[in-house]
Amino acid sequence: MAYLTTFYWGWLLASALLGLAMGWISVVQHGEGVSKVTKRWLAALAVVLVAAALSRIVPGRFGYWLDLGLIMFALYLVGCAIGSWLRDWVVSRSSPAA
Amino acid sequence: MHGLFRWSSKWWPGVIPLVIFWAIAAWTSTEPLEADLAQRSITALKDTVLDKRRIVVAGRDVTFAAEAFSEDGRQSAVASVEAVPGVRLVNDETRLVPEAKPFVWSAERDVVRVTLGGSSPLPSSKTKLIEAARAGLGGVEVTDRMNLARGAPQRFDNVALLLLDQIAKLKDGKITLTDNKIALSGMARELGGREAISAALKNLPEGYSVAANDIKAPPYILQAYKDPVAVTLTLTGYVPDNNVHAALVAAAGRKFFSEKVVDNLKASIGAPAGFAAAVVPALGALSRLSTGTLVVTDREVKLSGDALYEAAAGQIRAGLGKDFPQNWQFKPEISVKPAAAPVDATVCQQLFADLLGKARIRFESGKADIVADSAGLLDRLIETALRCPNANIEVAGHTDTDGEEAANQALSEKRAQAVTDYLVRAGLPASRFTPIGYGSTQPVAGNDSDEGKAQNRRIDFVVRQ
Repeated sequence: MAYLTTFYWGWLLASALLGLAMGWISVVQHGEGVSKVTKRWLAALAVVLVAAALSRIVPGRFGYWLDLGLIMFALYLVGCAIGSWLRDWVVSRSSPAA
Repeated sequence: MHGLFRWSSKWWPGVIPLVIFWAIAAWTSTEPLEADLAQRSITALKDTVLDKRRIVVAGRDVTFAAEAFSEDGRQSAVASVEAVPGVRLVNDETRLVPEAKPFVWSAERDVVRVTLGGSSPLPSSKTKLIEAARAGLGGVEVTDRMNLARGAPQRFDNVALLLLDQIAKLKDGKITLTDNKIALSGMARELGGREAISAALKNLPEGYSVAANDIKAPPYILQAYKDPVAVTLTLTGYVPDNNVHAALVAAAGRKFFSEKVVDNLKASIGAPAGFAAAVVPALGALSRLSTGTLVVTDREVKLSGDALYEAAAGQIRAGLGKDFPQNWQFKPEISVKPAAAPVDATVCQQLFADLLGKARIRFESGKADIVADSAGLLDRLIETALRCPNANIEVAGHTDTDGEEAANQALSEKRAQAVTDYLVRAGLPASRFTPIGYGSTQPVAGNDSDEGKAQNRRIDFVVRQ
């Protein structure tokens, strides 16, 4: 893992920043999000993919691409969570004054 | 936490650019990553001895194929690749180098090259052997047909290097090591090479043995050429040692009374048994020819040339082989020189005087037995006598003054008679010769010195009309 992060840390950073931006926006964004059912399906899909990656059943380049995608996605989610939390914190601090 | 869950339902739009990032990242990073992992794997295997190593990286998976020289080596090689950071899976296609049973290694030499074949236990041994062959056989092409195999006997490298040293001593041939048995065949480069190889093989490590040694020695050759124009006897080839060398040259000097002996002999081991005992009489036979060549090849003596008269040719053909040691062969190719033109008695006398001026007929000390060294001179005297068939010849025996006069008188008579008998045996009519003994009454030099006495002990041929 340490080897992989040193190898393409730029892409991971980009994923995390993308997540940060998306999280920042999502707090104040209007409109419908994905439904609970869809979210479960997506979560299940993510679990399957993680399981496939951990069990190393996908061979060769596809296996590498899967690992890469999952790591980028994980960092994206972390970025989203931090971004949303930060935005929420900023909004909640400024609202009593407004 | 509840908020986070609520917000997460709106995070999906960012997945679209994320997928684009992912695609670009996958596109650009895969090949450099694979190259990097391949390089790291090779570096990790740097100190591991393997044959036919092949590393193919797909993504983070390494397909590693190689032939290892031991099970431990194989496992540690696989572990080294697995331990490379970033490697996800190792597809282990390694196996052990096949075991050779029996383990055969060979070195074969022909005129221009040495071919190393069979099996070698390790790449390092293989390299060592090729380098040793190149160094030891300067200028000879070295062809490597060795493969790698397990199962080599102990101390293989040392033995193979020792055998390569022996290949250098061969003109052509093959040395084969089968497990710990050695078989040699071929022809030694030089005289003594066969013996040198046998001696070197005594240094083989324990457990090794020579199963077959069929190395042949090059022929042991001595040549003697009697050149009637240059009046020389040229000796070339080999003699066993300096003593035999001196003895042969001395014998040649006695037998070839008028020729200059050109000595180009070299001492070398490898002579067949009885060498001197065969060559000395063969030189005697050559001395009886007007022109001729003597070739001694191992135990075969070939004498070719022209005898001075028919009876001499017969004597040489029949007689020489009898003097040889056992297992020696004599191949005479003797023809007879055309008879020289007849001359009158005066010329005959002159020719006798010339011949007897160059050399004397020699006898055993105090006896009337003609020594074999005088055969060449006697043949020339007989040839001369044949040129003046009508001349009667007095064979005159003389002695020095040592001893009783009566004994000298008797000895001179016996010696004159012995020479006459020799001439008659050669086919000359007895009626033409009159043996006379003069004792010490007709000295040609002073009897006060050894030199003078030697000149006085003589046989003279005097032509009587």
